[in-house]
Amino acid sequence: MMHEEQSWKAVAEIDQAEVFHFPQGLVGFPGANDYVMLNSGHGDIVCMQATEQAEAAFLVSPWDVNRLGKQPELTSDQKKCLQCRNETRLLWLLVLNPFSDPAWVLANMRAPVAINLDASLGMQCVQANPELDLHFHWMCQPGQSNQAA
Amino acid sequence: MIVLRRKVGQAIHIGKDIRIVVTEVESNTRAHLGIEAPIEVPVHRLEIHEAIQQENCAASQGDARAWLQEAVNDA
Repeated sequence: MMHEEQSWKAVAEIDQAEVFHFPQGLVGFPGANDYVMLNSGHGDIVCMQATEQAEAAFLVSPWDVNRLGKQPELTSDQKKCLQCRNETRLLWLLVLNPFSDPAWVLANMRAPVAINLDASLGMQCVQANPELDLHFHWMCQPGQSNQAA
Repeated sequence: MIVLRRKVGQAIHIGKDIRIVVTEVESNTRAHLGIEAPIEVPVHRLEIHEAIQQENCAASQGDARAWLQEAVNDA
């Protein structure tokens, strides 16, 4: 079990060998249902890699409450899918895109990933709010600058 | 494409366990649909689905692990 310290967030414990099951897959990747977290321990960004589909690999980072405000809330259907209860430990992750912008690593706030750490279940939760940014400037590309957005 | 005429309150059944009900029609301009589907079947508006799909594909188009390793080395 890896004990990952997040200075500005809750402490997230992620077992590198643990498989997280996504009943719906991620949007556009319906056949990739099981993911493992790779490279956890290198700061705030980890690689979420599908076990059965090599091309389904996503960089994710925990939702930053200080920058983005409060975490999204699950709908009743999403709670059902994730088998959430009141005491469930839930981890919200942003899907990052470092490949489309030469200057910025982009974060998709419209469709964050929620993981039920107790049940090892995950889901990409599309948010109803159309104002949430699909291309939020998360951080400068490494080598560009060390300053965050 | 199959086109079916349905009135408010009437339903369409798809496959084993997907049910779509017309719950309201606004002056022939917009239909309200109620959808019952299994948990493993995602249901999204098409334009949102396409936008998120495009973003996910863009986010996975490169070598994520290599990028991450490079980022760690640069830090």
